[in-house]
Amino acid sequence: MRALVLAAGRGTGLYPFTDTRPKAMLPVAGESFLACTLRQLRVAGVTDVVMVVGHCCERIIDHFSNGSAHGLTIQYVRQKEPTEIGDAVRLARDRFQPGEAFLLVYADVLALGNIYRHVIQMFGSFNLPVAAICHTPQAQNFGTVYLDSNMRITRLVEKPSTREMGNYVLAGVFLMPYELFDLLENKGMVDSLNEVISSPGLHSAIWEESWLDAQRPWDLLRANQMVMSTWTEARVSGSVQLRGSVQFRGPVWVEEDVVIESGASIFGPCFIGKGTFIGNGVLIRPNTSVGAKCTIGFGVELKNCILLDQVQVGRLSYVGDSVVGERVYIGSGTLTVNHNLDRSDIVLPLKDGMVNSNINKLGSFIGDGANIGASNTLAAGAVVSPGAIVPHHHTYPKEGE
Amino acid sequence: MCGIAGMVASSNVGQKLFRSIAALEYRGYDSCGMAVQSNGTIDVRKNVGPVEKVNQNEHFTDMQGMAGIAHTRWATHGPVTRENAHPHMDSQGRVAIVHNGIISNYRELRARIRESGIVFTSDTDTEVIAHLVGEYLDINGDDVETAFVSALRELEGTFSLAIISTKSSGYIYCAKHESPLIIGLGDDENYIGSDFNAFIEFTRQTVIMDDGEYAVVTRQGYTVKELLSREPVKKEVTQIEWDIEMSRRGGYPHYMLKEIYDQPVTVNAALTIPRVDLAAMAAMIHGSRHCFLGGVGTTYYIASMGQYFFSRLAGCYLPAISTDEFTQLAQIGPEDSFIAISQSGETYDTLTAARHAKKCGAKTGAIVNVMGSSLIRVVDLPILQGAGPEICVISTKAALSQATVLLLIALELGKINGHLNEEQLLRCREEVSSLSSMISDVLNERSGFLHTAAGRYQNMKNWLYLGRGIYYPTALECALKMKEVTYLHAEGMSAGFLKHGTISLIDENMHTIVLMPPPEEEELHTLTRTSAEEVRARGGFVLGFRFEDDDKVEDLFSAEILLPNVSPILAPFLHLLAGQLLAYFFAVLLKRDVDRPRALAKSVTVA
Repeated sequence: MRALVLAAGRGTGLYPFTDTRPKAMLPVAGESFLACTLRQLRVAGVTDVVMVVGHCCERIIDHFSNGSAHGLTIQYVRQKEPTEIGDAVRLARDRFQPGEAFLLVYADVLALGNIYRHVIQMFGSFNLPVAAICHTPQAQNFGTVYLDSNMRITRLVEKPSTREMGNYVLAGVFLMPYELFDLLENKGMVDSLNEVISSPGLHSAIWEESWLDAQRPWDLLRANQMVMSTWTEARVSGSVQLRGSVQFRGPVWVEEDVVIESGASIFGPCFIGKGTFIGNGVLIRPNTSVGAKCTIGFGVELKNCILLDQVQVGRLSYVGDSVVGERVYIGSGTLTVNHNLDRSDIVLPLKDGMVNSNINKLGSFIGDGANIGASNTLAAGAVVSPGAIVPHHHTYPKEGE
Repeated sequence: MCGIAGMVASSNVGQKLFRSIAALEYRGYDSCGMAVQSNGTIDVRKNVGPVEKVNQNEHFTDMQGMAGIAHTRWATHGPVTRENAHPHMDSQGRVAIVHNGIISNYRELRARIRESGIVFTSDTDTEVIAHLVGEYLDINGDDVETAFVSALRELEGTFSLAIISTKSSGYIYCAKHESPLIIGLGDDENYIGSDFNAFIEFTRQTVIMDDGEYAVVTRQGYTVKELLSREPVKKEVTQIEWDIEMSRRGGYPHYMLKEIYDQPVTVNAALTIPRVDLAAMAAMIHGSRHCFLGGVGTTYYIASMGQYFFSRLAGCYLPAISTDEFTQLAQIGPEDSFIAISQSGETYDTLTAARHAKKCGAKTGAIVNVMGSSLIRVVDLPILQGAGPEICVISTKAALSQATVLLLIALELGKINGHLNEEQLLRCREEVSSLSSMISDVLNERSGFLHTAAGRYQNMKNWLYLGRGIYYPTALECALKMKEVTYLHAEGMSAGFLKHGTISLIDENMHTIVLMPPPEEEELHTLTRTSAEEVRARGGFVLGFRFEDDDKVEDLFSAEILLPNVSPILAPFLHLLAGQLLAYFFAVLLKRDVDRPRALAKSVTVA
């Protein structure tokens, strides 16, 4: 079985992190969505992958190359401009053979357990095209389906906006016949899938394990927690240096060549990437994921947050309920405030305007390469654009900013 | 739904064929049989009962021969008897046949065949096909394939079927038209079956037949041909790649979800129960001094819902009694009647109650899902609900369809005793006919909200379900679903009863679910609202199941599930469905053994 993996999505809703990388390369719990997808595809028996890439595609190609390091053969198809999903699929047409059925996978979807194996099995069982479906609290953001008593999909409605829906939604994994390419020549993805539904029919594969399609920056924190909630034991590499008394509690995962200074307390579930330095007296609380080659200074507290690679956090800072981009520098004594005083839901300034997160505890979202001066206070829901410089002794954003 | 299986091999097929129909038993299990051909004769063994039990007397596993076919039956119409069990033979014993489906023109064919002096031994449409093949064998000499095809061309309706004949040793002829049939390819032996389960134990190589095709299967190979042209069809061999349990569940993650999603179909099956049967039951009630409704567990709660249907639609009070207490409580005599409700028809307490009622001279009726069960033989008037096999230990589709049947009987009674006029009756019937599509709507468009609620409140360990009027037994049943499958503490209670004691339990560890009647039921609505307010006034969390256009309950609940607007007589069905789904999603999130909850059995056949 071969897979067509769609990794060209821009993920504009995930600003400030997707200006500088494809959505699928965002990491949670120490692994990018795409790496997780490819690993599970391999386990499900897929050996050949055709990947459609676009926005910042060199990051994907540099990282995965021809796939041999991941036990896969990967061919890339470049999509110049992001358009309808059907267009991305159609670009890969000449890489498949007439008569060939293939897995169609949205690379930026996170599912715990192997959703690909499940879909392949359903295809084997029913000899019909298959679409994985699941429940999500935000059904209106996805393609919603109607089912009959035999788990066949009878109708597909794209992102219904008129009212809230409680339907099963498309989970971003399909097993499709080659004929899909023909349909896409004249129609969009939804209309083509509706054609498949009328003939030869589309069987659903109900996915009951956790599932998430990150659409907003705070969904990364959700995804991080989702993965870590399945961890049951600690994994500490033999090359980790503990310089004095360090306390571990719960499922703490620490990768190669991490150095942890005396007096650090690390409470799982949490993840610390390769070559990271953890200073004296650092407190790392649950659901924290620290990338590779980070430097965490003396007395820093981290809690429910994601730090991408090469982040530096200066002494006596607090980072909680936040996501911090690559190579971000956070000066000492910096504080991410994570709630409004009236405990109201936190509203964030994103590319498409002010967006209510419906969450009342949320810290900062700091784009790649930003420089935050020392002794700063970042307001709850602060969004710092990539490369921005926030001077010392500052409150961000300032009144009216 | 029935299951068929067959195999051709170089050694005796009895043992393996028996395992095939045992594996198909989930498709139906009220009777079964096998036919094996050897030395120019066909040995047919069959009887009433589940496969394992019939084997004890009929010894399927000892059957000798190189080709055989087998059948397990789930009767929806017509009695379950040894004669009606498959396989069937033609009058001269040359052909044995197993069949799944319905031949719609069998009456005409039967009349025609009778004219030629052939005596039928069963009431089935299948036997017609056997004689038809026999007739063509007379015409075509020993060309079984031609006889088979000629017979098939006369059939109208749906079928998957298979025959063996004394005239062609080591062959199975099979055909498919709108009922499932596939071929399994083994090593020097081949198989056929209604689905993969028939032979998945022996091979994973399969050929899937399409409608309008027939196949000739031998030990060495198979040929698939078009029924009309007799031209060979090239078929692909498919490798089966999934686990057995999943294919039995039709791909659903659990039987419970499958059976919940079956409900639009099972409700329709209940709606096609012949009016005369319902009227006979209504007449029995009408002619009695007292009529008692009996069930135990879920069926007791369904019987309790029935009380409200009869009260409202027929102006009669029919007490519901839990059958484990029946003999202690019911004063029943020749002027009275008793209606038992049981999915399996084997429930010890309910059987005992029915026997007791009968012994006291009362007239007896039953609503049962399993044809041929003990309860059907005990009572005078059985009604089969036709909901199909229910495998999950937790009853969902059978319960909802039993409630539908009680509603239909109540309508008949309302007609007989004049409680409903012609116009009311017509309106009610019209409303009931939309039940199936309302259930589909909730399954499709609302299940996600229940899933979200289960996700949000999965750590809450105590649940109180409140309802008034018919929503009271509905609350009891929803609470029972919750405790059975999630092992959480859940209790149902009449909302009015709450302040007489139970309200003292309300605190942050007890969540309450309120089943809100539609606003048209003004009195019930007001009273239920008051109860919800009482809980909230004590700081309790209230999840409301309420109808969409109900504008009197704004801000009444801490959280709510909106149900589509329906007429009041259908409202409790939607609450029941929401309760089933909520319990299911809780169980999945809590990683419970959904289809086999601890300590529970499908059919409780002991006291």
